[in-house]
Order: sequence, then C-alpha cells, then structure tokens
Amino acid sequence: MNNDECKKELMTGNEAIARGFYEAGGILASSYPGSPTVEILEAVKGYPEIYSEFSMNEKVALEVAIGGSFFGSRSMVSMKHVGVNIASDPLMSFTETSINGGFLLVTGDDPGLMSSQNEQDNRIFGKFANMPILDPSDSQETKEFTKAAFTLSEDLKTPVMLRITSRLCHGRGVVELCDRVEVAPKGIIKDVNSYCMLPPNSNKAQHFMKERIEKLTEFAYDTELNRLEKKEGADTLIVTSGLMYNNLKELNPNASILKLGLVYPLSKKKFEELAQEYKNIIVLEEMTAFIENEIKLMGIQCEGKKYFSFTAELDVADIEAGLISAGVIAPKENSKVLKERIAVPARPPLFCSGCPHRPIFDVLKKVKAKTVFGDIGCYSMAFLPPFEQSVSIISMGASLGIIKGARKAMTLQGPEQPLVSVIGDGTFFHSGISGFMNLLNQKKDNENITVLILNNSTTAMTGGQQNAGSGIYHQGDYMNVNIKKLLEVIGFDRVREIDQYDYKTAKEAIEEEIAYNGLSVIIAMGPCALRYKIVKPHFFVKPEICIACKSCIKTNCPPLRMKKYEGIDKMKSSIDKNMCVGCSVCAQVCPVNAIRNSELEDETNDK
Amino acid sequence: MINNIIIAGVGGQGLVLMTKILSQAAFNEGYDVKTNDVIGLSQRGGMVWGSVRFGEKIHSPNIRAGEGDIVLALESLEALRWAHILKPKGKIIYNNTIMYPTIIQQGKAEYPVEDIANLKNEYDVLELDAVALATEVGNKQMANVVMLGVLSNFLPFKQDSWESAMKLNLKPQLFEMNIEAFNKAKKIK
Repeated sequence: MNNDECKKELMTGNEAIARGFYEAGGILASSYPGSPTVEILEAVKGYPEIYSEFSMNEKVALEVAIGGSFFGSRSMVSMKHVGVNIASDPLMSFTETSINGGFLLVTGDDPGLMSSQNEQDNRIFGKFANMPILDPSDSQETKEFTKAAFTLSEDLKTPVMLRITSRLCHGRGVVELCDRVEVAPKGIIKDVNSYCMLPPNSNKAQHFMKERIEKLTEFAYDTELNRLEKKEGADTLIVTSGLMYNNLKELNPNASILKLGLVYPLSKKKFEELAQEYKNIIVLEEMTAFIENEIKLMGIQCEGKKYFSFTAELDVADIEAGLISAGVIAPKENSKVLKERIAVPARPPLFCSGCPHRPIFDVLKKVKAKTVFGDIGCYSMAFLPPFEQSVSIISMGASLGIIKGARKAMTLQGPEQPLVSVIGDGTFFHSGISGFMNLLNQKKDNENITVLILNNSTTAMTGGQQNAGSGIYHQGDYMNVNIKKLLEVIGFDRVREIDQYDYKTAKEAIEEEIAYNGLSVIIAMGPCALRYKIVKPHFFVKPEICIACKSCIKTNCPPLRMKKYEGIDKMKSSIDKNMCVGCSVCAQVCPVNAIRNSELEDETNDK
Repeated sequence: MINNIIIAGVGGQGLVLMTKILSQAAFNEGYDVKTNDVIGLSQRGGMVWGSVRFGEKIHSPNIRAGEGDIVLALESLEALRWAHILKPKGKIIYNNTIMYPTIIQQGKAEYPVEDIANLKNEYDVLELDAVALATEVGNKQMANVVMLGVLSNFLPFKQDSWESAMKLNLKPQLFEMNIEAFNKAKKIK
C-alpha cells in the first residue's frame, strides 16, 4: 500500500485495536469494563457494522465471543488482565477446539499496578492456554497486530491473545487507516469431534493443540511479526517486545535488537542461529522472565531479570541502568546529576464531590463497625484514610464468600461480633449474585451479617459504563434489574433500601441492621455523582457559627478545607464553590448548622 | 526545539482532553506524536498526568527526568510535583488553583506554599488563574483550554492547527466558547 495515500489519525492503543478489528471485518465484540482496556469496546461502538456489548462479566463476555466465532464470524473479547481469571474456565476448553471464525482475546496487563489489585503477567496465561501471543509496541502496530491475529487465528485454527500494557492502551500515536474488508461467515460447523469438548474428543484435542503449537513455532521462525535490527559489529543481541522496544530505542545501544511481535511461541531454530551469531543475549521485558525462560528452556544462555526489575514499569532510565550493569552501555562519566526531588505530599484518589458512597463510610466509621469486608469498585477507596473501613479487598464479588467464611469460623470459635461487608451494584451483577445465594446455604439464626449494597446504578470506577441496573436512570437498551426484588425472590427476608443522601435515616438503618443478630441486606441508593452529572447549588460555611469541630472535613469531600477568615482567629471550615456539587452531606453532619445552601440563603461571609 | 510537554493536574480537571487537543495540534503540524495519559483509578481526585512528545520521529512516549521542556499544571501542588522532570530553567505554566490532597485536608501535612513560590528561582514560571479566566468567558470547566491558549504562545503551531484540533475534540455547541477562551488566554505571556 502507498502510505502517502493512507489517511492517518492519532489513536490510543485501545482505539487502534477497535480500528484493527473493524478493518479486519470483525462482527462481534464483547468485553467487561476494566482499566486499561475499557475504551476498546467504547471505540468499537463507533462502528455500526459490529455488534458490541459489555457483558455481565468476563466469563460471559468470552462465551459471547465464542458464540460469534462458532458461527464463523470474526470475534473479539477484551478485558483487563485479572478479567482473564474470570474467563479462564471457558477459555481453557475453548482453546481445545479448532474455532471457526477468527478469535482474538485482548488482555490489558498493568505493569506497575496503575489501576489493579495485582500485576499478573498474562503471557503465562496465553502459554497455559496454548495460544499464540502478540505484543505490540505502539498504536500503529497495535492495529496491524489486531488484523494479523485474525489471519493467524483462521490459518492455524487457534484463538489468539493480544497482550497490551496500560501505557500503550492509553497512549496515542499516529495510525494509518485502511478500508474494512468484509469476511463472510462460514456458519455453524456440526463436528462433535472438534467442538464437543469431553473425552474422547478432548483427549484427541491435546494432540491437536500440541501440533498447533508446533506449526506456530515453525511460523515463528521467519514471521514478519518479528524483526531483527542489526547493528554493525555488535556482539550483543537484545531481545525485547512491546513498549520496551521503543523505550530501548531512545538509548540507541551498541547492540542488535530482536524485536518480537509474536512472543509465544518462539522458534528454537531461530534462537540457535542467533546464539551462534551473538556472544551475549539480553532479554528486556517487564514483569516476569517470560521470554527469558522460553529461551533458557531451549538450552540457550541469556540474561534478563539479572539486570531488570521483575515488577513495575521499566522506563528509559531503568533500562539504561540495566544495560550499564550488563556492560552493554558505558556509564556516562559526565552524566548530569539529576535534581533531587522535593518531597511533595501524595495525592491518592478519593470519593468525588457529591459521591453517594461518602456518607455510608462516614456512618460506618462513626458507628464503629469493627469488621468491614471491602470489594472491588470505587468504594474500595474506603480502605484509605480518613475512612479506613476495609479489613480486606481481594477480587470482584469476593466479599460475600469471605464474610460467610469468617462468620462460620467465628461462630464455631468465637468471640462473636457483628460482621459487615460492602459491595457495589456493578460487582453485584458481575459475580456477587452467586455469593449472595451462598449466604443462604446452611444459614442459621443468630449469625450476624450485614451486607451493604452501594447502588449508584453504574460501573463507576471504570468511567461509568452501564450495568444490569442502569435502566433506573435510562430508557432504551438499558436493563433494569431490581436488586431488592431479586434478593427477595432468592429468599432474603430482611432487605431494605435507603437513600444514601439522607444521612440521619441512613445512619439509623445501618445501626439497626448491625445490631440485628441475623442476616440483613441494606441497599443504599444514590446515583453516581460523576456519571449522572449531579450538580446542585453549592453550599457555604458561616464561619461565625462554625465551631471548627471538623465533622464536615472528616467526610473527605474535596471542596472542604479549614481556612483562615479575616477577623477570626481560629481556622474554620470552608467550601470551594467551584468544586461543590451541592449534595448537602457536609451540612447534614454539621452539629451546629453552620453549613448552608446557597440557593436558600445569601452567602455573605464566605468567598 | 520544544517537544517534551508534561501536563499535570488532579483527576476531573480535563487533562485527557488537553492531551488530545495538544497532540492533535502537533499532528496537524505534520509532526510524529506520542502521548501518555495516566488514567484509571486516578480520575477520582487523584494525581493525574500526561505527556506529549512531538518531533520528526518519536520512539517512547515517556519523558525522562531532566528532559522536559514545559510543565503545564492545572493545580499548584502538581506543578511542584513535576518540576523535577524539566531541563534546567525549563518552563512551568501553572493554574494557581489550590486543591488539597486528603493528607493536607485532614491536617496531617501542610500545603507547600513556599516551595511553590520558590519554583521561580529555578524555573521560568508563568502563574495564572485559569479558572477565573474561564469563568469570565462563560464556564469554569474551560480552564484546561485556557491553559492550552497560554501554552500556544510557546509552541510553533499555527492557529489553524489548534482550532481544527479543538473542533475534532469538543462538542460543536461548546466550540465557539472554547475558542474564545483559548484566544483570550493567548494574551497571557
């Protein structure tokens, strides 16, 4: 293709995946929202040729995409790295089949845990599932690899993994656009041997997968997905992939570079040739020693993690330090000493202005709930100061199993105390329902469990995607599952809804249910202030009334701060009206009525 | 040539839009461009930052410490946080809004007013009240575009490149007002 005729656009890695899928003739895309991959599906929604959905969870999303593939349509499922854990059950059996329409699993890995609970390296998952793994290095390549994945998938009858990291997902680069090429579906293939994965078919499938990996290994020998950049006279070869390649290029080391696009499987034949040619082989990769181990398994000497950290991102400076210790680049004698950084107070995330979760955690702190099990969502942030209201956070929906287990163990061994857990509506729909049902399994009287469901009617943490309960604020395609009715039908007999913004009533309800010696559920209702853009007239502080007790400050709402007023000695509370959205929670917690609504009263003293 | 720009601020201030417009303007000028946006958890009032690099050929989107040309900060403390990434005498343009991180709000640390004031001893500092200017034009949320207007004085981009970048990334009904904010901000040098 003539590049000059190509239209070019700036795209994030996520947008480039969506574009690649579109150009490849993709028909069905599914996902579950999770950083860093959430924008892939949002970008896919811009292409009307493609059916797309955020499914209930990653397992269902993967199954939906399998359905698309089984019909013969090119299908893609995207999720964050930990999402693959949820989806791994169907994945590990689906990979035994010979697929039908091209199938791509996109996993967003998160070196450095910018927005995740762990740093798992899903290349290991790809190998575990006998899948080839592609690892792009910028937006352009992300688009190209997405398209290449479908050709590879159909040629070798294999699901393909595209592994991308957070920084590439969100970073932008120039992408050349091509036209979409339609691919006709082949229709459902009725072949029980290839698609019904029970023995003896799945016994045979083990051999099929082994042979498939062997073919892929042959393909890996000279695929254009990999590229050797020779440096004249260099006796060192640096093997790398992904963003690490571009970070490495900033240093222009005196070494040849093998840039892998296909990071699994690798060609032993190729590496044996390279080992003849180069004295040293150094592997540059983030997280685990995945490529390094693959090369070592071939019996070829190389080093990697000896020089580079096993955790966090590797930036240019980290790579430079590693290559200096490896003797590949000389230490700079006259390197300028970097300025010492001034210690600056950290700024961790906090609940937004007007967030409906804030009053709940303020109440939990005040009622001195001893043990609160947290879950995954915006409300995870309640483990941070000033609330410090979670004893554990593990994974989506885990709080329910955990509170059940802790309850049973405590009942057997004592001493007794009330247990509380907190889960959001998104997590409830994702994987909370089965945990809820299990609370009724061998339920006994006098086992004190209080489960709070914080229902803001959106999957907020990932940017406010719709979920099964979003229909309460929407028309159209949105589902509107009523959590209270659902729980009652399942068999919960003590479920009550409260308004999160009605502080006094919410506090009474939470106190009552914690005191109740049995199983109870509180559904705390309040729309996400960010997603539903809740903005009401701001509140202000009357400093002459304020007694500086900091009750409002302790709610951690962003606009609140203590400040010095003219003519008043003591610091008093204040509200930045540019940030206040008028939720009234601070006014409700003020013991002396010093915080007023600007709509109802003239603001005179505060600025 | 100026080509390493760090954008810093607090989640919710519209940093992603700034990165989009700035990178698009550089792209419109014919440069190779790469950007970072650190988003995800941090959008809830946490520290957020982005980087834009442009030039003939850009490899990494990351800017190394000591190599930044300009820090464009939407909040005072965030200007201080990122100053170390600049070249000696590098430029800092910052919106003097003050937003307290939790630790300061809860009285466990002080807002580093003095350190921020001292930035001018080491860097080429331009301070402004972008929120006030944006409010004057019609909406406080345009503070991010005001910052870009100021930045435009120090970049070799044509007005056209900026305007079409804004057109591409703003809702049509907001375009005119944002251009007005952008142009007003250009008077701040």
